[in-house]
Amino acid sequence: MESVIELSVIIPVVERYDDIAELYGLYKKGLEDSRHSHEFIFVLDGDFGEVLAVLKRLIAEGEKIKVIQLARGFGEATALTIGIQHSSGNVILTMPAYQQIEAYEIPRLVESLKDCDMVIARRWPRKDSLLNRIQSRVFHMFLNPVSEFKFHDIGCGVRVFRKQVAQEVHIYGDQHRFLPILAYKYGFRVLEVDAVQSQKDTLQRVYSPGIYVRRILDIFSIFFLVKFTKKPLRFFGILGSSIFAVGFLILLSLLFAKVFQGVALANRPILLLGTLLVVLGAQIFAIGLLGEIIIFTHAKDIKEYTIDKIIN
Amino acid sequence: MKDLSVIAPLYNEEECVRLLYEAIARVVEPLRLDHEILFVDDGSRDNTFKIAKELAERDKRLRVIRFRKNFGQTPAMAAGIDHAQGKILITMDGDLQNDPEDIPRFIEKIEEGYDIVCGWREKRQDKLITRKIPSKVANWLIGKVTGVAIRDNGCSLKAFRTDVIRAIPLYSEMHRFIPAMASIAGSRIAQIPVRHHARKFGKSKYGLSRIYKVLLDLLMIKTVVSFSSRPMLCFGSMASLAASGSLLTFAYTIAWMNRNERGSLVVLIGTAMLLGALTIFFLFAGVLGELVYKTGNLKMNTLADIRASFTGFETLRKEG
Repeated sequence: MESVIELSVIIPVVERYDDIAELYGLYKKGLEDSRHSHEFIFVLDGDFGEVLAVLKRLIAEGEKIKVIQLARGFGEATALTIGIQHSSGNVILTMPAYQQIEAYEIPRLVESLKDCDMVIARRWPRKDSLLNRIQSRVFHMFLNPVSEFKFHDIGCGVRVFRKQVAQEVHIYGDQHRFLPILAYKYGFRVLEVDAVQSQKDTLQRVYSPGIYVRRILDIFSIFFLVKFTKKPLRFFGILGSSIFAVGFLILLSLLFAKVFQGVALANRPILLLGTLLVVLGAQIFAIGLLGEIIIFTHAKDIKEYTIDKIIN
Repeated sequence: MKDLSVIAPLYNEEECVRLLYEAIARVVEPLRLDHEILFVDDGSRDNTFKIAKELAERDKRLRVIRFRKNFGQTPAMAAGIDHAQGKILITMDGDLQNDPEDIPRFIEKIEEGYDIVCGWREKRQDKLITRKIPSKVANWLIGKVTGVAIRDNGCSLKAFRTDVIRAIPLYSEMHRFIPAMASIAGSRIAQIPVRHHARKFGKSKYGLSRIYKVLLDLLMIKTVVSFSSRPMLCFGSMASLAASGSLLTFAYTIAWMNRNERGSLVVLIGTAMLLGALTIFFLFAGVLGELVYKTGNLKMNTLADIRASFTGFETLRKEG
């Protein structure tokens, strides 16, 4: 019984981290309450000398920790994926390297996995600043119509899921936020569970403009992943041909004016706009076509379904 | 490898499962073929899976695939085709509207040497306005665009040689276009009339998709099939179209300058240059297309390779 590990705790260290020794102590305490045998895996995504030193000290003190050092920063999703590959438990618990929820909530979250495939924590009630809450609210307002599932806190890194989920849903780079969304899309049962937010997680955060741009791109790529991965031409085709049509109409009216009213084309700057729209439309359509060709020629590799069981 | 797989996708068909299984088994048993029945449960929320599982426990030749959630009819068909073990695949609806009694005639046709046998519903028992007319229009359109006149693309009752169907990409809502695509690739297709029954239980679940979806898919298939095998050629012709537009504009600009008229040069030159840029874009898109096609695993000529005709059944029947 002791030798079998049920739960693998994966803590990716990316950018932001708290005092690791304290964090480890808290998490460990929380996990011991859950009475599942477990292992700790820290994945250092890049060079975190300070963290590595602390972890080495903890190991020297006899703590059972696995540390994976990545050669450079690959992104949190890649760090998670590698951590999962090196884990031996059937259930994966991912925790951020900083306190988002109170550690005593861990056992309850793990228990919630009973009849679903993935449990994601929702920090509730929120204790952090109004600004943070507004940011998060706005993000989810745009996200939820796209994801087809009502998420409240996709930014919370505390997730419990069966290993199978990670084996079927592939994420990389910065896509760790997408994991629950994709898991839901693949037909796994996803459950959101309220958890008490940690006191330490309440700092007001204003990010650099680049981060906001990335979040917007995130929503866009989720939109594409969920709705149009299999039919790029539907999305690009409609967009491209409507832009093309607008440009074409402009050109047509110009031609009409030239032929019947004798207005010289050179005196009409709108000719440029018309041509520009035609060109843009054709390019968007061509990109959609390329996407469709990719899907078409690789259709045998892409499974559009996930199988729960096969009998006989 | 078995001789025959009968594939039926099921979505909330608890009333039909047992009847369907019995009907198929009754027809297939006397054929003395090594057969299997493959039910694909497309994420039903009722007792469909439970009943199918019970049946499968008693008959090892019934296999049941259960999806995690509802993915739709094409993925269900694709899963059935991927997991089938038979040399001949028969696909049919899970709602008893197709009659399993027709199966032997399909097998005969395959033995005659056809790659794909499509059924068409002789006396279709569906609502005229909402089902029959849209489907007539869709069939006519598909025939026009692909150049392959299939009487009834929407009829699920079909028979395939396994190696042929596995070479055809099947995704999105493509199942409706299997015959058209197969025939573009040079397969031999036969069409035979089949019986069609009115729905006994429940409502129609896979409603015939609205016509605009069919239209879009059709356009896509047409372009993709003609593009994917020789992307450079197609993008190249688009590029030459843009190039000629660009050249014409340049010529016009020069003529216009010679006439010494008043006005801005920027507009005309700008237009010519935009079209020139589009030309270059298309050329590079063509190169990219070639690259994709080379690295992809679908070649239209793989279908030609497997045209060697049906090799016949190996088991059971010989003794009979």
